[in-house]
Amino acid sequence: MTARSARRRAKKRIDWSGYVFISPWLVGFLLLTLWPIGQSFYLSFTDYSLLSEPVWVGLDNYARMFGSDPTFRKSLSVTFAFVLFSVPLKLLFSLLVAMLLSRNLRGMNAYRTAIYFPSLIGGSIAVAALWRNMFGKDGYVNHVLAWFGIEGTGWISNPDTALGTLILLNTWQFGSTMVIFLAGLKQIPQELYESASVDGANPVRKFFHITLPMLSPVMFFNLILGIIGSFQMFTASFVITPRGGPMQSTYVYAVFLYEKAFKHYQMGYASALAWILLVIVAVLTVLNFLASRYWVFYETDGGKSK
Amino acid sequence: MKLRRGTKEAAALLMALSLALTACGGGDNKENAPSGSASPGGDGASSPAAGEAVELGVTWWGPDARHEATKAALDIYTKQNPNVKFKPEFMAWDAFWQKLPTLVASKSVPDVLQMDAAYIQDYVSRGVMEDLSDIDLTGIVPDNILENVKIDGKLYGIPLSHNAQGLAYNKPDLEAAGIELPKQGWTWEEYFQWARDAKKKLPEDKYPIGDPANAWDWFQWYQASQGKGAIMSDGGKTFNLDKDLFVKFHDELNALRQEKVLPPPDTSLAFLENDPQADPMASGKVMTRGATVGSVAALEQLMPGKVAVVNVPNGPSGGGWAQSTIFLGVSATSKHKEEAKKFVKWFITDSEGGKALGLTRGIPINEAIYKELEPTLEAKDKISKALADVAAEKAMPFYSAGPGFTEWVDFYKTTMEAVMFGQKSVEDAYDEINKLGQDIAAKQK
Repeated sequence: MTARSARRRAKKRIDWSGYVFISPWLVGFLLLTLWPIGQSFYLSFTDYSLLSEPVWVGLDNYARMFGSDPTFRKSLSVTFAFVLFSVPLKLLFSLLVAMLLSRNLRGMNAYRTAIYFPSLIGGSIAVAALWRNMFGKDGYVNHVLAWFGIEGTGWISNPDTALGTLILLNTWQFGSTMVIFLAGLKQIPQELYESASVDGANPVRKFFHITLPMLSPVMFFNLILGIIGSFQMFTASFVITPRGGPMQSTYVYAVFLYEKAFKHYQMGYASALAWILLVIVAVLTVLNFLASRYWVFYETDGGKSK
Repeated sequence: MKLRRGTKEAAALLMALSLALTACGGGDNKENAPSGSASPGGDGASSPAAGEAVELGVTWWGPDARHEATKAALDIYTKQNPNVKFKPEFMAWDAFWQKLPTLVASKSVPDVLQMDAAYIQDYVSRGVMEDLSDIDLTGIVPDNILENVKIDGKLYGIPLSHNAQGLAYNKPDLEAAGIELPKQGWTWEEYFQWARDAKKKLPEDKYPIGDPANAWDWFQWYQASQGKGAIMSDGGKTFNLDKDLFVKFHDELNALRQEKVLPPPDTSLAFLENDPQADPMASGKVMTRGATVGSVAALEQLMPGKVAVVNVPNGPSGGGWAQSTIFLGVSATSKHKEEAKKFVKWFITDSEGGKALGLTRGIPINEAIYKELEPTLEAKDKISKALADVAAEKAMPFYSAGPGFTEWVDFYKTTMEAVMFGQKSVEDAYDEINKLGQDIAAKQK
């Protein structure tokens, strides 16, 4: 009896030691990640101003979102427009630059560093402020346009052009996407190109029949990250076109959520918004994974996915 | 076998090492917090002589100059009262109002906190602020001001300064263009007419006045000056947006915008007040703009020697406002209320402290302190005082956005921007803005 319980205890100790080892991470995860997530789920069913105790309101927050809040629809459409244009543009542009930078030229590392550099600082407040000045009505962009006799508008203070300007800024921050593409390009075996050359394939054909298929897993990875990142776009909209301005033309979802929480003190509603954002991103990711079966090619599958 | 044992040991060592490292990393964060809050106790043990040693948390918002001045004043207080030490937390306006609600929620509001007229009702109604009515301020704060800032007959914040709303204008540029200077006590009709006349003498890309269509407070001043009072009153339970005045005011602005007396909307929306390049006046593009006691000093520093002031256009009931808007209060959950109360009184009475603080929170409420400062005032301080004086003549009370109305303020802004770009009629805008206001007011009942 004692022997068995001792053995059982010993067994238990072995079980727990693993948890003890990962406890620094586990405690952090439970307290700082899982608990707040659970909390926000609860809060999404309450009316909570931070100053007083949360009051249970059931599905009111969700009903308000879909029923009577035009700002919700506005911010959602702005965000979708942003994702729809900025993600493909950024992928295209970074692939283009990656192709250029994958060539073996003297001093290529210096070029790579120089071109990668903007994305290190691109998301910062300082660059946002810089862009605000560049694309202002008296900014450099309009000065340059004036040389050609074009009278520019206030790019970021005109509701017709503001979102487009932010999409451009996002495309300019192509660095990390480009680096991943670059690594992907380096992985493609040279023999494929060589044998294609022997068979007389031209560069365009090589690109569409070797580079793109071999790069499709990397493309897929960048696409998913790009979509998630674009849905969370915040700094540019908050700083360049202050608080999603002019006429809410850049009022993206993250800014909307932030203002509901920390400006209007509607924590409950903001939590509900956060959960809806999670659902939207999750659904899009699942759809992408389903669609990936038809266009992503994994070498290890031996071309099965085709 | 031997090899396996070796790798096992190595693996265990590696894990232990990494654990030790991460534990250190985590421990830093975890240990810092309690040791920070435990330090007053520790200090007390090491210096038991000076009676009861306390550490007061103090928090405020403001620009750098105010931070430096306030820290200097806190040092002076500690020198005079060695048993009191401070834990200051200071930040910019936005950060302050983001952080304070979380401090309230976690019941860790600092003992002493700065408050603004726009928010104080909200925080009083949530029981955050301690009743300070028993602090004797006779002869320090004028009685009428004291009565004015009481909430339900009780004092929850010590008023720190005189604040006021007026209009700043670019004197040398107006004179150079041969334009008659704005006239103290002008009416709204005179203001709009002045703008039309001035535009004729200004080059195409310069404008006499800015476009106030998307700023709710401008319409508030207009409505109040015509005798229709506050838009939001009764702690946010009553909402009164006068339709006739609203349509009249915004129709006039639409007309001025079409006549190019107002800047085009994409220019207006690119302005950023107090930014060296983007400020409407400092950039040289607009000849006038609204200014308060604090902001006119910042403007004077951007364009030294060029700023003059006049009051906000008047109606039958007056024009602009003059009132204390910054307060110092004590947290209702403070453990050192008596020490905190002593400190907030000191803050507006001590002459040494007053010197350190200067005009960083506006014109000091305490006449005696202001008199001491007067000989040393700089240009930016003098213009602040001038603004307070011109505004005081016909001033009305300060009407803030009621509790829960920040959302409405934002809605007013975006809706009126649509009107500025000609995408919405004034009547439609009124209906939408009025509906949201009524809804919010109904919810507060």
